[in-house]
Amino acid sequence: MQKERITDKQAICLFISFIIGSTLILGIGGEAENDAWLATIAGIIMAVPMLLIYSRMLALFPGKGLFDILNITLGNLMGKVIALLYIMYVFHVGALVLRNFGEFINTVAMPETPIFVPLICMGFLSIIAVRLGIEVLGRTATYFLPIIFFILLIVQMLAIPQLNLNYLKPVLGNGLVPVLKSGFAAFSFPFAETVVFIGVYGSLKTQKSPSKVYFLGILISSIIVIITTIRNVGVLGNTLGNFYFPSYEAVSRINIGDSIERIEVTVATVFIYGVFIKSSICLLVACKGIGKVFRLKNYRSIVIQMGLIMVYFSYIVFDNCMEMKYWAFRVYPYYAFPFQVIIPIIIWVLAEAKNKKFYSTEKE
Amino acid sequence: MFVLPIMVYFILVVFDLLPLYKQKSRRDFWANALIGTVSFAIVMLLCFNVKIPSPEQPIRELITSIFGK
Repeated sequence: MQKERITDKQAICLFISFIIGSTLILGIGGEAENDAWLATIAGIIMAVPMLLIYSRMLALFPGKGLFDILNITLGNLMGKVIALLYIMYVFHVGALVLRNFGEFINTVAMPETPIFVPLICMGFLSIIAVRLGIEVLGRTATYFLPIIFFILLIVQMLAIPQLNLNYLKPVLGNGLVPVLKSGFAAFSFPFAETVVFIGVYGSLKTQKSPSKVYFLGILISSIIVIITTIRNVGVLGNTLGNFYFPSYEAVSRINIGDSIERIEVTVATVFIYGVFIKSSICLLVACKGIGKVFRLKNYRSIVIQMGLIMVYFSYIVFDNCMEMKYWAFRVYPYYAFPFQVIIPIIIWVLAEAKNKKFYSTEKE
Repeated sequence: MFVLPIMVYFILVVFDLLPLYKQKSRRDFWANALIGTVSFAIVMLLCFNVKIPSPEQPIRELITSIFGK
């Protein structure tokens, strides 16, 4: 079967969509109150070294995905064990993203509808996308992202009358510690979650460019996230952390001359698009991982069943929205730390050591 | 309520699982069958309103015991 390929542009669009996916729903840096935007910047600064490591890993083994790299660096047995851990992590992230979406729909739009309905609908969409493959996902992201940018731009402009930039003061009023704590939460969700992309960027057409893709992606997405966070703080003030969905709340306050109001549905569109891309990427990487570990002919043969299990898992994972928020900001950063930082650093060090050996044996 | 998932899984067996057997992709067939069985078991439990324990709680307890709340 011909290997799937995506262009740099498609990869960047996927990356941006992935970052803004559930970030715009849940918001980041709420614990730092009106310093949330500083926490976001702190999170990005913390993420940059890790992105360098991720892109270096991809550059060391061009055309290889996360699971190939694990196999090469850690050997067959250990590689499979760590690959299984990564499959579990990626699957868990996908389920959490689906759950974020389900809670969002259940809380703001359809409170009487069982949460299972939005979950299965989005899960079904992700299954279709993953069965069609990364190329289709890449093209979808390329077509939709300009529309998303347009919506975000218009909404930001319409929010200007509601902005009260005094809410941003006092800068560092509570000290540096809450900013760094929230920055750490922002680092792990969403910036370092891009470790998942090591499993996707093996399909890049031009293998020289993973670092370019990573850095252009993080640059554009961080600008979006920072501007959105500043808008949220400017509209909601230090009550930002009290809302489950701060962006939705901030946009719902837009009222231009009593005629342009209730435009939060546009934000919901952005959320749905972001969640679709993020959950699809997670499902894709989980299926590719299982395909590699169990040496399947084609990862597509298990996509439907894995997608269904992801939906069921997202249904049972939390009992309510409060648990979800507690998990996302208090527990998740520590849970994800080994997958986002410790294991990638170990693999990177081993990859640097084994890289020469691998290519010398390949040449022979 | 359980009739609907049974019908859906029957369709999946016919259109997703059996073609793998016919294509002689044995590994893919067994992987699909295994994951499908797990998935079917979970959906049946959900249909009968059985509370399935979430892994979120033990992970949360472990992390809060190490790092505090």
